[in-house]
Amino acid sequence: MTVPALFSLLLALAVTLWSLPASASSDYQEQLFLQPLPQSSLLASFNFRGNTSQQSFDNQHFRYFPRALGQILQHAHTKELHLRFTTGRWDAESWGPRPWNGSKEGGTGVELWAWIDATDDEEAFAKWITLTQSLSGLFCASMNFVDSTRTTRPVASFEPTGDHPHAEGLHLLHGTLPGEVVCTENLTPFLKLLPCKGKTGISSLFDGHKLFDAAWQSMSVDMRPICPSDGECLVQIEQTVDMVLDIERSKRSRTNPIPRPVPNEQLLCDASKPYNSEDTCYPLEKASGKAWSLQEVFGRSLNGVCPLAESDGSSEQSVCLRVPHERQVFHSEGAVEHKKPDGFTRCFSLSSSQPFDLSIPEQPGQVQVPLEAPVLHAERTIVGHGQERGGMRIIFGNPSKTTSVDFILFESLPWFLRPYIHTLQATITGPDGVPREVPSSELVTGTFYRPAIDRERGTQLELALSVPAASSVTLTYDFEKAILRYTEYPPDANRGFNVAPAVIRILNAPGSAPVYIRSTSLLLPLPTPDFSMPYNVIILTSTVIALAFGTVFNILVRRIVSVDQAAALGAQSLKGRILGKLVAIRDRLRKKETKVE
Amino acid sequence: MPAAIRNLRSDPQLLFVRLPNLLSLLCIVVGVVWLLLLPLNDYSRQTYISENALLPGQVHAYFTGSEQNIFRGYKKELEGLINEEREDGAQNPEVESTPAISNKIHSILQAAGLKVATQKYEYTSAGITHRGENVYGIIHAPRGDATEAIVLVAAWKTADDELNLNGVTLALTLARYFKRWSLWSKDIIFIFPPDSKTGTQAWIDAYHDLHPSSVQPLPLKSGALQGALVIEYPFDHRFKTLHIVYDGVNGQLPNLDLFNTAVAIAGGQMGIGANLQEMWQHDDSYEARLKTILRGMTKQGLGYATGAHSSFMPYHIDAITLQPKGEGWEDEMALGRTIESLCRSLNNLLEHLHQSFFFYLLMQSNRFVSIGTYLPSAMLLAGNFTIMAIALWMRTGYHSDPKLSGPTGSESSKLKSEKSSSPGTQKDVAETKTDGSAVAERVLALPLTLVSGLHLLGLVPLWIFNTIFHQYFTTVTYIFVAVDIVLPLLLAALLSNGLGISTPIVRQQYLLIKSFALLLLGLSLSTLATLNFSLAFMIGLLCTPLSFVVRLEGAAPLRYAISSLGLVLLNILSPPTVLIGICWYTGVPIETVLTQAAFGWDVWGMWTQVVVWCVWWPAWLIGCVLLGSSMF
Repeated sequence: MTVPALFSLLLALAVTLWSLPASASSDYQEQLFLQPLPQSSLLASFNFRGNTSQQSFDNQHFRYFPRALGQILQHAHTKELHLRFTTGRWDAESWGPRPWNGSKEGGTGVELWAWIDATDDEEAFAKWITLTQSLSGLFCASMNFVDSTRTTRPVASFEPTGDHPHAEGLHLLHGTLPGEVVCTENLTPFLKLLPCKGKTGISSLFDGHKLFDAAWQSMSVDMRPICPSDGECLVQIEQTVDMVLDIERSKRSRTNPIPRPVPNEQLLCDASKPYNSEDTCYPLEKASGKAWSLQEVFGRSLNGVCPLAESDGSSEQSVCLRVPHERQVFHSEGAVEHKKPDGFTRCFSLSSSQPFDLSIPEQPGQVQVPLEAPVLHAERTIVGHGQERGGMRIIFGNPSKTTSVDFILFESLPWFLRPYIHTLQATITGPDGVPREVPSSELVTGTFYRPAIDRERGTQLELALSVPAASSVTLTYDFEKAILRYTEYPPDANRGFNVAPAVIRILNAPGSAPVYIRSTSLLLPLPTPDFSMPYNVIILTSTVIALAFGTVFNILVRRIVSVDQAAALGAQSLKGRILGKLVAIRDRLRKKETKVE
Repeated sequence: MPAAIRNLRSDPQLLFVRLPNLLSLLCIVVGVVWLLLLPLNDYSRQTYISENALLPGQVHAYFTGSEQNIFRGYKKELEGLINEEREDGAQNPEVESTPAISNKIHSILQAAGLKVATQKYEYTSAGITHRGENVYGIIHAPRGDATEAIVLVAAWKTADDELNLNGVTLALTLARYFKRWSLWSKDIIFIFPPDSKTGTQAWIDAYHDLHPSSVQPLPLKSGALQGALVIEYPFDHRFKTLHIVYDGVNGQLPNLDLFNTAVAIAGGQMGIGANLQEMWQHDDSYEARLKTILRGMTKQGLGYATGAHSSFMPYHIDAITLQPKGEGWEDEMALGRTIESLCRSLNNLLEHLHQSFFFYLLMQSNRFVSIGTYLPSAMLLAGNFTIMAIALWMRTGYHSDPKLSGPTGSESSKLKSEKSSSPGTQKDVAETKTDGSAVAERVLALPLTLVSGLHLLGLVPLWIFNTIFHQYFTTVTYIFVAVDIVLPLLLAALLSNGLGISTPIVRQQYLLIKSFALLLLGLSLSTLATLNFSLAFMIGLLCTPLSFVVRLEGAAPLRYAISSLGLVLLNILSPPTVLIGICWYTGVPIETVLTQAAFGWDVWGMWTQVVVWCVWWPAWLIGCVLLGSSMF
């Protein structure tokens, strides 16, 4: 046994012993939830939750709460934090409602909101900047670019999820980076916050290659205080990773990831077609029930359980799978399967020593797990074309036949997109499919609007809306595109400017968990000069100026004198005189030498 | 030498009459010769890929093997449906856009995992109703966020109205194949419009929410469109070369990089030759190059949509059509691989295509001239009118007979000169020679009214030709030929002796009328040249006689003879006669051309008619009036 291994063992032992008496107030649990979705997709939802008592948090006794994050939060006086990294889009049409009701996902890119304890707005903003800068370093993300233009203070869209005894001094700040690309560099620090660091437990399934090949993927970090009515307050950190993997794509080996056409004999053809033959094939798509196993989909198997995870009855079954009970599921030895009474969920208690794998063979023609219909569909697009003006079109569809949906639409627009709120128009398409225009005040029950200030802050628009049953509402407004100064264009390739996704908070069920939907982000093309031209001009003029300046400067500062004058000029100062003497002596010597020769 | 210049200055006849004529003629000759020089190696350039991100042909295309079995399967399936439809309703020519086939495409795309939607549309133009339904499907980029998209179009009818069964099948097979790849950074949209004329237009208008009320909005959308490819494969045999069609509505062109990428991939990677402008035998000779340029210019000048891709251009979306041509040994999979490779190249794009040229004339798949080189040609043609207009303006100010210039004494002297014209003009000349530097007052009211009035009159034929039913087009064209003969003479008579309605006109006013007309023509054409070079060049060339048309003075018989001959010649160059002439030469019925033009105006947003009726026709009319006034 090597020295570091020994050391870590001792450390682990010490930690275990030390944490034993405190297990009542500080615990850690992790859970993996798997659900096959239509179109050969698989939803994998990882959840890691750690608690620590408020007292030990304040005393910087970190156990399950990561020290790196804890210190940042204390330094920035952040009482509640929500951080999201998301890529791709959730396909609500085929996948149904979002995991965690959308409360654990963000818009494309990075989204961050926090409740900060401060006396006034300015102090809150200063702390917010501290927070974003520190998180930027911790998570290797460009969160330092969340400046005043990208920061908003939502009024109705977010509510604190924790219990705050002193809520009056809290300031909610919200920032988004829709253009941020989430990748492995964000996953590594994310894993480092976990007590088992991706070595054992369900976090051992994380493989950057597979995780970032997912069709949709979201990582979240939530920190909040929880104060039960009896007992002391806790600080809870919850980390989740949700992803939708394409089973077929994930099963391809890493050495041969190219989806080449399959050999002829492996084609699945509809043999009932009259023309079906050796070289003619009408393909049959497998309806559902593709075979998969953890090993195949994640590229590795589950490496036992995290020893720090609490071992009471509830979290013992840390891997859950949602398939019909009739469906055959094989699991590796040592694990125990528990079927839940709902008919679809089964969970597994893992053996702590053995690696766990789970495999589902292909089984055609069984019952599908019913998917709930989403409460609301939302689509947001930019309409119109040209460099000067455009329009925003947001369509909300209410699939329910009986109930209307109330929600809050929150848009934070960059300052260079200047909306004309007076052009806000609503069209409502009822069940008869006939669109009719209604005054927007009929649907919008409340508005909070904070107009943008050029280069200082973006537009913040919160609308309380209601969509009647079985109808869809189209909101449109026009906007103007600002012309940026040439230094304000980012140095990257000019793809356009990202507009942050809209956040929709559905208000229907009071008291129950909030439901959030986020629209896709948008690409706003702005009038952009062809930068190669100004750069060429800059380079050329700089060269010309350098040449001209050099010459002119040279002429101006240099005194052009004849040789004898130069000697006289030099002779005026002491140094010059001495030098002159020396030169004279040297010349004399030289002359002598030449004469000698 | 200074003496010669002084002489020239003191000879107003030379300075204001002969010199402008010479300069104008020189401009025209140089302008035409300039165009003829363009095909030479010294004036044209080799094409090159300007946007490095495209990396054409740098990836291996895997679209082969068992995908062909699926292609055949889809094809048999669609063929079966079409035959069924034909048997059921043989009288209906639009069998391809029936609900059964739409549903089939819908289900194939859905089974392949695409998001599918349909859009119904209806357009009415020249009394003909065009109705159809677009089916389209979107492959969501696996990790994308609906910010950008590439479009693939396979219309049921090609631009030449042939059944594009192979093209549609190929698009379906590609959709299924592309869905498996995880490397797409942009969404891919597959559109199956019923025809190449209306379907894509309805779709793209609705995509930007700029559609008329007869077109349904799109239920499903993606992000900003970065490029579009149209697939045509209307026959069953193997093909030899790829014909790339790139002209858009109103002569707009796609970025040259897109064309170059297609040529580079077809030629360099796939070994398929590329043709353009229907030049099947291109030996790279001067004649072949010039012919290619001229064909391109004709299409650009007429400004009609040459295929389903043309509708994308007004929205600044670069698009081309790929048409397999000839008998060879390339099969549909080779075309599929070309498209796969093109999509991969477009997928690489970080920015919208902007690096390369948007204004160019192609003379061979790998040679082009850019706007800086060819523009002077049309500008010189337009400049000739401006030079003449300025010269005439100066001439009316400097070089006028004081007796004639005043409106008071004009009537009597005018009548006198009418009666004894030949001595009168001699006297005029003598007088002006002695009194050349006298400053004359210009009488502007009548010329300005006439010129602006006639330009506004152009709205009448514009409205008529875009509104009436298509069966009347031929008749109305012939009526317009007659109107074009009568109207100038009527106006000339009215101007010359007033016909009791107005005071007759003076000589200076004729010059002013011509000056204003030419000034407007020159101005419009030089502006147009920067937008649609070919149209400006064509109109400029047809208008060249107008620079030299004058009100003739001289002995009555000679005057009558020359002016009637001139009028006949000018009438040959009138817009309706030119149309009839071209239709007779190409063998296309007038009705077809005008129906297409009206359709272009109503649906595509084509502006050629405006230029013809509001720029060319008024200028031509004024020229005829001037010449016709010699008779009175």
